[in-house]
Amino acid sequence: MEFKYIAIILSFILLSFLLYKEISRADKARLMWRLIASVMAVTCFALLIVPVKYRIPSSQNINEITLLTKGTNPDSVAKISGTKYSLAFTIKGLKTKQIQDLPYFLATHPDINKLNIYGYGLSDQDLKGLAGYGINFHPAAKPGGIISANWQQTIKSTEQLQVQGVYQNSSSESVKLLLKGLGNSIDSVSVAPNSSKPFSFKTQPKQIGRAVYELISLENNDTLAKEPLPFIVTEQGKMKVLILSSYPDFEYKFLKKWLFDNQYPLVFRTRISKDKYSSDFLNTDSLNVDRITASSLKKFDVLIIDEGELAAIAPDERTAINDGVKGGLGLFIRISDLKPASAFSSRFGRFELPPSKDKQLSLSLKDEDYKFGKLPLEQTLFLKTTVNDKPMVIDGSGKTLVSSTLQGSGKMLITSITSTFNWLLSGRITDYTRYWSAVLSAAARKKHEAQSVQILPQFPSIYGKTEFIVDLAESGKAPQIKVNGVKLAPGQNIELPFEWQASFWPETSGWKALSVNQSTQPFFVYKNTDWLALKNQQTIISTSQLSNKANHHTTKTSLTNNFSEKEVSIWWFLSGFILASAFLWYESRILSA
Amino acid sequence: MSKTEGQIWIHRLRKKWITLYLLRLLAVSLAMALVISALLVHVLHLAAWYFVIVLAIILIILLVAKPIWKSSDSDFSRFINHQYPELEESADLLLQHPEGLSMLQKLQLAKIEKVIHTINPEKEPLRKLYIGLAILLAGLLISFGITKIPQIHKAHQVASANQNPVPIIKEKVPAEVSAFDVTIIPPAYTGKPERKQKQFTIKAETGARVIWQFDTNISLKTMKIIFNDKETIVLKPQNREATKWTFAKTIEKSGFYQLEIDGRRSDLYQMEVIPDLPVNIKIIQPKQRTTIDIGQPQKFNLKLNLSDDYGINDAFISATMASGKGEGVSFTEKKLSFNTSFNNQKHIALGKEIDLKSLGMKPGDELYFFIKAMDNHGQSSRSDVYFVSIVDTTELMSMAGMTNGVNLVPEYFRSERQIIIDTEKLLKEQSGLSAEAFKTRSNELGIDQKLLRLRYGQFLGEENETEIGGDHDDHDEHAEHAAEPEKFGDVTAIMDKYAHKHDIAEDATFFEPEMKAQLKAVLTEMWNAELRLRTYKPQEALPYEYKALRLLKDLQQKSRAYVAKTTVKTASLKPEKRLSGELDKIMQPVQKMLAERKEQRMVQLKASLALLESRKSGKKFTEGDRFLLSDTEKYMIGAAADNPTTYLNALTSLRRLSGNTRLQVSDIDIAQKAIQKMIKGETASPQIQSALPASALYQNYFNNLNKAGR
Repeated sequence: MEFKYIAIILSFILLSFLLYKEISRADKARLMWRLIASVMAVTCFALLIVPVKYRIPSSQNINEITLLTKGTNPDSVAKISGTKYSLAFTIKGLKTKQIQDLPYFLATHPDINKLNIYGYGLSDQDLKGLAGYGINFHPAAKPGGIISANWQQTIKSTEQLQVQGVYQNSSSESVKLLLKGLGNSIDSVSVAPNSSKPFSFKTQPKQIGRAVYELISLENNDTLAKEPLPFIVTEQGKMKVLILSSYPDFEYKFLKKWLFDNQYPLVFRTRISKDKYSSDFLNTDSLNVDRITASSLKKFDVLIIDEGELAAIAPDERTAINDGVKGGLGLFIRISDLKPASAFSSRFGRFELPPSKDKQLSLSLKDEDYKFGKLPLEQTLFLKTTVNDKPMVIDGSGKTLVSSTLQGSGKMLITSITSTFNWLLSGRITDYTRYWSAVLSAAARKKHEAQSVQILPQFPSIYGKTEFIVDLAESGKAPQIKVNGVKLAPGQNIELPFEWQASFWPETSGWKALSVNQSTQPFFVYKNTDWLALKNQQTIISTSQLSNKANHHTTKTSLTNNFSEKEVSIWWFLSGFILASAFLWYESRILSA
Repeated sequence: MSKTEGQIWIHRLRKKWITLYLLRLLAVSLAMALVISALLVHVLHLAAWYFVIVLAIILIILLVAKPIWKSSDSDFSRFINHQYPELEESADLLLQHPEGLSMLQKLQLAKIEKVIHTINPEKEPLRKLYIGLAILLAGLLISFGITKIPQIHKAHQVASANQNPVPIIKEKVPAEVSAFDVTIIPPAYTGKPERKQKQFTIKAETGARVIWQFDTNISLKTMKIIFNDKETIVLKPQNREATKWTFAKTIEKSGFYQLEIDGRRSDLYQMEVIPDLPVNIKIIQPKQRTTIDIGQPQKFNLKLNLSDDYGINDAFISATMASGKGEGVSFTEKKLSFNTSFNNQKHIALGKEIDLKSLGMKPGDELYFFIKAMDNHGQSSRSDVYFVSIVDTTELMSMAGMTNGVNLVPEYFRSERQIIIDTEKLLKEQSGLSAEAFKTRSNELGIDQKLLRLRYGQFLGEENETEIGGDHDDHDEHAEHAAEPEKFGDVTAIMDKYAHKHDIAEDATFFEPEMKAQLKAVLTEMWNAELRLRTYKPQEALPYEYKALRLLKDLQQKSRAYVAKTTVKTASLKPEKRLSGELDKIMQPVQKMLAERKEQRMVQLKASLALLESRKSGKKFTEGDRFLLSDTEKYMIGAAADNPTTYLNALTSLRRLSGNTRLQVSDIDIAQKAIQKMIKGETASPQIQSALPASALYQNYFNNLNKAGR
């Protein structure tokens, strides 16, 4: 039997007992009043135990709930009637019903089929459970700060670190965005009031190993935010270069010297006469390069060859080079003639122009937007590019001089620039190294890693779920994944047998060592306050995306059972009970005395 | 053997004289030593005890110069004979043994012995001694005056010294040091006063002498001063309690130093050297290249400003005049002085009017000059080279280039050859041509031949074509003739407008008579050829044409210089080996080289940057880390020795970091900043790109794609 019936029965018993006592009392004065007071006291007492509820008709649809998320403007929700919900510990200062776990809440309230979401929206994880629900998203005002940012997590030494993103300034003061690292202020940009501005910083970090740069936003000396920017600089083995030249020239001589000085393993073969070569073995053991074979090419990452030599070598050597390139070798061809001399170089179209007036060649790297110093050359030979080619170095008017194309899993690059050593002669060492670094890095055989790790989300934070997706070269064996020595249990991907997944909930911020099968790689755990604007922007975007998707198939909600229950406050009953009992006490002690 | 009275007298007198002389010597050398050591102490800032050495040296020099103590009594007797005429040249009698004297000598001796007592022998040496004492007094006064010079100097330069006071830098003074003084004495040429400071950080001129004086509150066992972490100098206490220490050093290079007191090292203090820059020369007038046109005065004003940090000693103009042209250029160099005196001014504005005519410059000549200036430390500097040229008017008016036949010759030879070729062509094609066409072409060739002849005629100074050959008056194409000279004889035509040249055969005199004769012969041959061509007989014209060409060729050869060949010994060729196509003897050169491992400096600095970065997050240094840090410190010491202002703070921070367990982020920042400055000029290098793991699935996919593509 339910508790409230017991309470009611007991109250009735109490009431009848009280009434009997009142009636049976000798002094019959004010009997009527006393009876009324007794009834009132007991009734109020019973109602204290059993709450009184009533239903009122309301405009709120019971199939809908209002969910307030972080960033909700209190003013904007003040007008909304009905119950407001919020996820636990997200909203302060507003009266809401807290939902501990959204999927669970929705599962226990099957009649809900639409959510009105206010604020910055929900995280991807929460949004996962909202498929099939109608969503009406009222995003908060755009968050101020860095709303998107990206940079390389790992760079090779001497490479440039490029930090790009967008800053949204929602204040009425201009904001200075400052990149700081290793004690130095590296670069800064100023963002005008009430505007958003894309930014891009470039720097060549000097350390080897881990570092945390900082992206600081300043408004008149007030630090608005300080976002950490962790990355790793690694050093690795040098690429092995093979140069085959039909004749010695200064371009080769300087290139040879530069590579030698930088300790690159280099084999340099120059043709002296028919089948007679002069060979240099620099920083490497000597091997037979009189005949180019597939096996000798396997030992190199890049082959630099001029067109004359390409035409002069035997056909089977050409085949070996072709197979080598398909297998990943980089091929860099130097041309100086309008007429292609071999099948390799004829893949690239070329054209000749009369020499321009200024007699100087200004080059730029197309991808990096880097302008080289002028070369004192009268360049007349240019390359035609097709859709399959990627222009790498262009001149001032956009004509291509270095172009690259894919061949199998390798790359073929071709250049019509004949002498870059002029940069060295005029003291522009940076230009020379930049050019050859870009060209050789693009050409060289790629090194396949034994494994790769992808970390989700972009900013792992404390107590947030962090997922590692590990790609292994060999499938079948489960990898050993450890974070700071704590072993994680990986799960295999159903479709891709070499992909494994593990989850981790970090407890502290900073660098953590993630080891996968003996090899260790650090990853960074952010504080929960880092990159807030960006995270908020991300939830806004993903929530509104989901709401857009959901609105394509909105479910009609019925407005029929349009009532909501209300409870009468127990204070009323308590006061009634006290009043009645007080009268009874007063009457028996004072009036009857 | 008892001495006679006279002997004793002379002996005593000599002793007295020598004593007085030595006294005088002492007084004089004292005076000299005072003056010299006053100079040494106050100009060269040597210690005061140098006075003793100087005195000793002077005394010895003076004594050796005049070794009076060596003199014997007999020497002295000669001297007093000379000194006192009363002795009647007989003082040596006193020295001789009385028994060995003659009668006359004895008489003289008796006379002299009486005279002796009347002579007051001390008068003369005493007088000299007073002079010596006067010199001593003068020396005292002078040396006192010298000691006062720096103070007077100071008073003069108080104002300038106040303008750049040493910036106050907070520094930690070792607890044992109760008081200290650093005196900086700039080198004399700077003209700066010496200054004292109560600060260890030193900013001094190159070559300045720095004197440290320390007072310590307790007696110390050792006190060392360590320069650039390399040079350690142990100081000697100045008093018995070992509480006063001093040290002096001339500073030539920037660096840093620290004190080591009883084995405990102090902070690092920087020493910055203010280098003496050479004179800065700024030429205001004229411009770098000035051309003086006709009519302008052949002179220019030179105005310049010189400035130096301490003083300018000298400046002059070094001028080079170039005259002549081509190979005949001659240069004359001159040194022009500014007629001003340089009194070590810091700034001076100089001006000089340079008259080119007085330098001997003619039109067409050029003057190159630069200013050379020396500062008072002997450093010289020079300005850019400036050019002043006078326009040559005769060059503009001269006709040399236009009438110089030699330059034009090759073109004409070609023409003669062309005519021959054309004639031969005409003859070859004769069969296929109509008679009319043949005649026209032959005539045209004749005209060409004539034009050529006319051109050569100019070289012989012929006024018109009629004179050549003289026998071709009966021309049939006058109209054509009238037009031709206009076309080719442009120069003549223009000249005719301005000059009436009748018998001016100047142009013709370019050639020697022999050449002229040959040229005439050419013309005759040309005329003959023309005649044949015009009469439509090209076959007959050919021999004349060839002859004309041969003569012209000869002419051409004549104008050339001939240099005899020297003997050359070449290895005899082996014809059997040449062009055989055999390559088996050709070596295939193979070179092998290994680049030496680059110094570890860069790698270690880079690693230490990351290490400091990890320290920021609270990670403690391990033993290996400390090893790396100490290496980094070594490199930084080297950098700080050269550039104390940039690296000294960082070095202090780095030391604090490696020693301290408490984390100081600001120290890390400073150290990292400095390390980054030390890693300079790092350029890009090619890097291997990495690709995702090549799992078998990807590889299969790729292979299948390749197959599909085929």
